[in-house]
Amino acid sequence: MTDTQWKIFEVFHQQARGEAHVHAGAIHAPDAEMALLLAKEQFARRQACVNLWVVPAEVIAATKYEDDDMFLRGTDKSYRESWGYKTPRTVHEGTKGQRNEARWVEDRRQNSGT
Amino acid sequence: MAFDTLESLKGINREAVIDLLYRMADDELIIGHRNSEWTGHGPILEEDIAFSSMAQDEMGHARAYYELLHQLGEAEPDALAFSRKPRQFRCCSLVYLPKGDWAFSLMRQFLYDSAESVRLAALSDGSLTPLAQLALKLRGEEKYHLMHGRGLVLRLGSATDESRRRMQGALDLAYPHALGLFEPMEADEPLAQAGICPREGELRAQWESAAAPTLSAAGLAVPDNAPPVHGGRVGRHSSALTELLAGMQLVYNIDPSANW
Repeated sequence: MTDTQWKIFEVFHQQARGEAHVHAGAIHAPDAEMALLLAKEQFARRQACVNLWVVPAEVIAATKYEDDDMFLRGTDKSYRESWGYKTPRTVHEGTKGQRNEARWVEDRRQNSGT
Repeated sequence: MAFDTLESLKGINREAVIDLLYRMADDELIIGHRNSEWTGHGPILEEDIAFSSMAQDEMGHARAYYELLHQLGEAEPDALAFSRKPRQFRCCSLVYLPKGDWAFSLMRQFLYDSAESVRLAALSDGSLTPLAQLALKLRGEEKYHLMHGRGLVLRLGSATDESRRRMQGALDLAYPHALGLFEPMEADEPLAQAGICPREGELRAQWESAAAPTLSAAGLAVPDNAPPVHGGRVGRHSSALTELLAGMQLVYNIDPSANW
């Protein structure tokens, strides 16, 4: 039986400018332009979105699951795990000045009603 | 001349705005309801969801216009949608024609969206601030609707012999009714003179130039000298609207005072 389905496109969704595009799912579409139009209603109608990517599934290269033993660690490599470092609070939350500025921007945004 | 609030409208201007809002709101409500008949029946899943979502958008627009009418002293939005008789509706015939095949519903939506885009662009430059602000807000959704319609009309116009034949048939059937979107009204003069909305004839000319490039790029021929189907704007409708309303208003009218 011939496959009458359109091509599959993987859809990546960005919630705000500067953030990473996150994989949202896949859709069928005849070409990339229609894929973007259809992806908008499938993946951007219930959450904030500023940008979408679509990628033809056929161009994605992937490792094989049968080779997934290559990801196992043969010896102790805990020295590669970088989450033990202490970081000052300002790295995560900004300096006091930056926090005040962010609060001021947020207030302005709310008061302008946008 | 500028009208910062709805309350600042007086006399003939106020009547003309009420008339305009009924026409716009009723078009949106009825096309939204008609297109919702495709929910669960679209040609493919992705398009089913997209088309249903756009139908919801149109009903949202209707609600926003009914809210403005309510602020102008008309009944509550639910009562306007569900309690009026067919002859009280001011929609044009394009929006209530039966859904037909997919080509027809798609073509109707494309013609409707290109007309709505032209009207919203004009209203957003108009002198009635609350309506201009609403028009600006709705333009983003309309932009998507038009991108969607244009994308499919262009592709189906030249995909196969069957798709071309169906799209041309849909255009031939829908076009005279689409011209009825711009039925000349008594309200045209006061609306134009107050700078609120251009005359219907002017909007029609803008719409024809806006829709033509997509249709011709799709290889479709706009019918020559199509006679516009008028009457909808003054409440003269076919049985298609009566039947649609009978279904749409059924549940509400079992108990109009029920809380939802």
